[in-house]
Amino acid sequence: MLWVDKYRPKTLDQITVHEDVAQNLKKLVTEQDCPHLLFYGPPGAGKKTLIMALLRQMFGNSAEKVKVENRTWKVDAGSRSIDIELTTLASANHIEMSPSDAGFQDRYVVQEIIKEMAKNRPIDTKGKKGFKVLLLNEVDKLSREAQHSLRRTMEKYSAYCRLILCCNSSSRVIEAIRSRCLNVRINAPNEEQIVRALDFISKKEDLQLPSGFAARIAEKSNRNLRRAILSLETCRVQQYPFSSKQTIPPMDWEEYISEIASDIMKEQSPKRLFQVRGKLYELLINCIPPEIILKRLLYELLKKLDAELKLEVCHWAAYYEHRMRLGQKAIFHLEAFVAKFMSVYKAFLIATFG
Amino acid sequence: MSDIRKWFMKSHDKNNASESKPTNQAKPSPAKPQPPKPVDGGQDSTGKRKTSKHVAADKNKKDEKEAQELPAKRKNTKDSEDLQKRLPKKIHLDDDDDESDLLPSKRKSVDTTPIKKLNSESGREIPLKSPDLEKSDEDDALPIKSGGRGRGGRGASAPSSSGRGRGGGRGGFMNFGERKDPPHKGEKEVPEGAPDCLAGLTFVISGTLDSLEREEAEDLIKRHGGGVTGSVSKKTNYLLCDEDIGGRKSSKAKELGTQFLTEDGLFDMIRASKPAKAPPQEESKKLVNKFVAIQSKSPQKAGVKVSQPSGSGSASAPVKPKTESSVQSSLMWTEKYRPKVPNDIIGNQSLVKQLHDWLAHWNEQFLDTGKKKGKKQSDTGSKKAVLLSGTPGIGKTTSAKLVCKMLGFLAIEVNASDSRGKADSKIVKGISGSNANSIKELVNNESLGAQADRVKDSKTVLIMDEVDGMSAGDRGGIADLIASIKISKIPIICICNDRYSQKLKSLVNYCLLLNFRKPTKQQMAKRLMQVAKAEGLQVNEIALEELAERVHGDMRMALNQLHYMSLSKSVIDYDDIRQRLLSSSKDEDISPFTAVDKLFSFNAGKLKMDERINLGMSDPDLVPLLIQENYINYRPSLASKDDNDMKRMKLIARAAESIADGDIVNVQIRRYRQWQLSQASTLASSIIPASLLHGQREILEPGERNYNRFGGWLGKNSTMGKNFRLLEDLQVHILSSRESSPGRGSLRLDYLKPLLQQLTEPLRALPKDEAVQKVVEFMNTYSISQEDFDTIVELSKFKGHPNPLDGIVPAVKSSLTKAYKEQSKSRMVRAADLVTVPGMKKPVKKRIAAILEPSDEGLEQGEGNALEESEEENSSDTEELEGTTTGEKLQSELLSLNSKAMQVELDLKGTGSSSAKKKPVGRGRGGAASAGKGSQASRGGAKRKR
Repeated sequence: MLWVDKYRPKTLDQITVHEDVAQNLKKLVTEQDCPHLLFYGPPGAGKKTLIMALLRQMFGNSAEKVKVENRTWKVDAGSRSIDIELTTLASANHIEMSPSDAGFQDRYVVQEIIKEMAKNRPIDTKGKKGFKVLLLNEVDKLSREAQHSLRRTMEKYSAYCRLILCCNSSSRVIEAIRSRCLNVRINAPNEEQIVRALDFISKKEDLQLPSGFAARIAEKSNRNLRRAILSLETCRVQQYPFSSKQTIPPMDWEEYISEIASDIMKEQSPKRLFQVRGKLYELLINCIPPEIILKRLLYELLKKLDAELKLEVCHWAAYYEHRMRLGQKAIFHLEAFVAKFMSVYKAFLIATFG
Repeated sequence: MSDIRKWFMKSHDKNNASESKPTNQAKPSPAKPQPPKPVDGGQDSTGKRKTSKHVAADKNKKDEKEAQELPAKRKNTKDSEDLQKRLPKKIHLDDDDDESDLLPSKRKSVDTTPIKKLNSESGREIPLKSPDLEKSDEDDALPIKSGGRGRGGRGASAPSSSGRGRGGGRGGFMNFGERKDPPHKGEKEVPEGAPDCLAGLTFVISGTLDSLEREEAEDLIKRHGGGVTGSVSKKTNYLLCDEDIGGRKSSKAKELGTQFLTEDGLFDMIRASKPAKAPPQEESKKLVNKFVAIQSKSPQKAGVKVSQPSGSGSASAPVKPKTESSVQSSLMWTEKYRPKVPNDIIGNQSLVKQLHDWLAHWNEQFLDTGKKKGKKQSDTGSKKAVLLSGTPGIGKTTSAKLVCKMLGFLAIEVNASDSRGKADSKIVKGISGSNANSIKELVNNESLGAQADRVKDSKTVLIMDEVDGMSAGDRGGIADLIASIKISKIPIICICNDRYSQKLKSLVNYCLLLNFRKPTKQQMAKRLMQVAKAEGLQVNEIALEELAERVHGDMRMALNQLHYMSLSKSVIDYDDIRQRLLSSSKDEDISPFTAVDKLFSFNAGKLKMDERINLGMSDPDLVPLLIQENYINYRPSLASKDDNDMKRMKLIARAAESIADGDIVNVQIRRYRQWQLSQASTLASSIIPASLLHGQREILEPGERNYNRFGGWLGKNSTMGKNFRLLEDLQVHILSSRESSPGRGSLRLDYLKPLLQQLTEPLRALPKDEAVQKVVEFMNTYSISQEDFDTIVELSKFKGHPNPLDGIVPAVKSSLTKAYKEQSKSRMVRAADLVTVPGMKKPVKKRIAAILEPSDEGLEQGEGNALEESEEENSSDTEELEGTTTGEKLQSELLSLNSKAMQVELDLKGTGSSSAKKKPVGRGRGGAASAGKGSQASRGGAKRKR
């Protein structure tokens, strides 16, 4: 088993990184009054871990006995009926799902499926809790319409159904929903915390971890604890005992994006743009989210860029990212950004060096 | 000074143009030409004017000196013709140009008077002799002395037309020259000559020309009044070819003794009509001689031919009808010139005859036999109704009506404007009882059926027009029509456009089928010529043939177009028609590729916005994708002198942004059904990028073909969709292991690499058994199935990076597979999609897959090359395996593996990814050869591929 799962804290008490949040949550649950919750924070900060620990705190061990179901729902949408395939993870007391998987039909998921689930009272009321929990992932990816249909559900069935929402950025969750929830921000752990976590694991695993090396992993992980632990394990497989100068292998896709970035910096021509398009397609095909590609690409470009251009390039990256969200075919926008960058950079080069 | 010169040339141009006209028209109508006397009266004044003009002009023009030496008489006629030709107003205008140099007031008065005189005199009787005299005089004069005159006139015309009028046109030609076919494409300057310099000549083009595309050459010839035909015949004057002589055309031409002409020769011929250089003159002389010869031979025919190319308003003949036509112009031409007798109908004469015969014999055949019932069976060949079919506008209705009229039938026409549903009345008399309401009424008035058989002399015919237009409103119309035909006592003529229409399938059996064909363009042009003449329109035959071709044989449309054009001008030439019909002929389907080619073409900048939108909208989904795929490849003509591609990059950036705009608009359209934005979407996604970047296409990668690629997005998107589904499966499996619950994003971004490492690294590093043991354990912990293993590998592959499976000995891989399968018997199934639960989709599909299996064996073998090399390696290790295991056990295992693999494949296919399509083939092969040793290998190969 991967260390990241092996050493995942199972209860609120075990949690080390966000101890204060964990304690507050514990209090909240033990006082029997659990509001709707909205967890938000960057990936790898520990949202999911906290939520699972919280569920365990609420329902005891039964929260771990989950059943994965991949069901097709027939939803009546006005004139026609549509099939929505959705994977749910359910225990006796909670149901977990990612409604945004349904794409632009997520509205129906919220309107029909979630409502249906929220309506049903848990049959077994012998347990302490008189409610069940709906855990929705990636709420920020829900469309506007879906979010609006969610708000009524939240109020109407709040007597016996609590929602736990989980997302990366609360800014893409509409105000109405945010105000109906207790917002819990989960910060990314700082590097010190990460180093501590890594130390903890290597002690358990009986590893010699040079402190400088742990710090480097922490630094490279971009304050993502999950990635830090995973790359520790990767390094372990690659070379043991650790040396503090050991290279930390980058993620495959990160490596690929940095190649693209150096391609772009080397030459700005239609031909190169064409090659870059092929590489971007390659990334997209490998299921790398386009936002991540753009972000990473910008990051790599900025590393190599002259200071006076940075502002402009950042502006264009933001501009095209926004438009990418409005649009549908991500490659068009990525390519537009690359073309823009090439044009800007080329003009700069010619102006500077003639 | 240049003003004078221009003016002078112009006058000569007209002179020249009219030169042949009056002479030939003189013959058929002796009343027209100018009597010598009155001309004499005007002669003094005009003569004076002329001389003065010549004097002025001669300062500029050295070549024209002979003009002065012309005999007085000739000058007179010339001048008078000249004047007659020009409208007074025009002269004034021209004069105004020259006012600075010449005395305006005096000349104005001089100019106008002769014309008035001429007009008034045209009605007078004149002695027959005078035109002949004049003519002979001219004939004589031309070759000898006034050859210079004709030549001069021609010469003068050329600079005026090329220098001014056609200057833009030539630019257009130069721009064409971007495709590569002809060896010296666009390098030569295409000459411009007098519009009629090739008149009466017929060309055949063969092979590749030196610098012109075939269409350009054709256009050039037609523009100058010549005709182009497809194959060599006796009438062909020239075979136009530069190289590769030896084809059928050239051999035929040699046989017939047709003259060969190179492209340069053609240019020379055209240039010959240009001013005044020694060699071309002979050419033009020849031409002129030719015309004259033709004229004298067959005056009428030549009259048509020569008068057309002259192309400019001249003789009095056409002017008269014009005044007439203005009186009755309220009538549409299509009505006005509808054929009045069957012989007027263009083309299809045999069909008309057939129709005529059928109708003429109808009564005896059916009504009489109706009385003697025994006879009816004998002529089964003849049908009681007739079905005329053919494209619109070729005269079906007209012929039907005309034939009826000729035979004295009373035609009752029922067309789509009448309701033709099944009548509910029970009147059984005649066809009317069961037909349309309008007819029912007629019957009630006893005009139809009753009279038809009782009173023989007032015969009736029912014309059912547009029978294929019977639609929902005319319920049971066809069936009813057939019933009517069966009981009918009058002939029925049905007319339709598409004989093969599904609706008419039953009707066809009851009708005599007459299929009208499109008239040839020559036939049409002939008729159009008559119309044009009657309307006083100046058109040449080439132009009319072009018109006929453009309307695709639709006479009605041709007439309408002609009518329309006649409203704005009285002289119509080839270019006008080209221009006019360029837009109207756009109804044909354009493929997205053609549309994109046009949008990006070198001279796409000349397209109108409407045309661009039409091109873009020809397929609003595909065209943007094609544009997006190919826009980088164009070297924009907007950025000509572009050092280091700076401008081009800028344009590309703008185009890319616009394409992205198009995507955003498209989301609005699709998601929020804002279809009113579709034009904006086309504009942003196709037109703007194309207009920024249109130019010459170039290849970016060596070996690429220089054609527009098909949009890559569709394929990539479907692969992406497939991979997302695979990733989802993997996620579900991992979720169900309860060990971890990563989201899909973090699974891909963070987990994938460690997972891959855990799965493959031991296989590389550790000894075989230990490694297999370890990996299988790991897979079990996370409920990773074999397919998921492949998914992980697949998603970690990047082009240009080493395959993640490199360095793993195939033997290890296969033993891993084996070990995993063995353990699967004891493994607790935790993956969601492996449990059969009612209401679940996937297991059901798998069952279907299992049933399908045997039938899949058909698709195999040939695809072997599609499989990867690794397969071969695998096959070797299968042998190894065979050595260790007992044959039978392996066999059964292989079978089970195969079926499993198949399930997976079909599963994939079922999820709708198009790119998965290829795979079942490879797998199918595995299934087919399941007993053989290659089977496992190919299966492995297929799996790995996936």
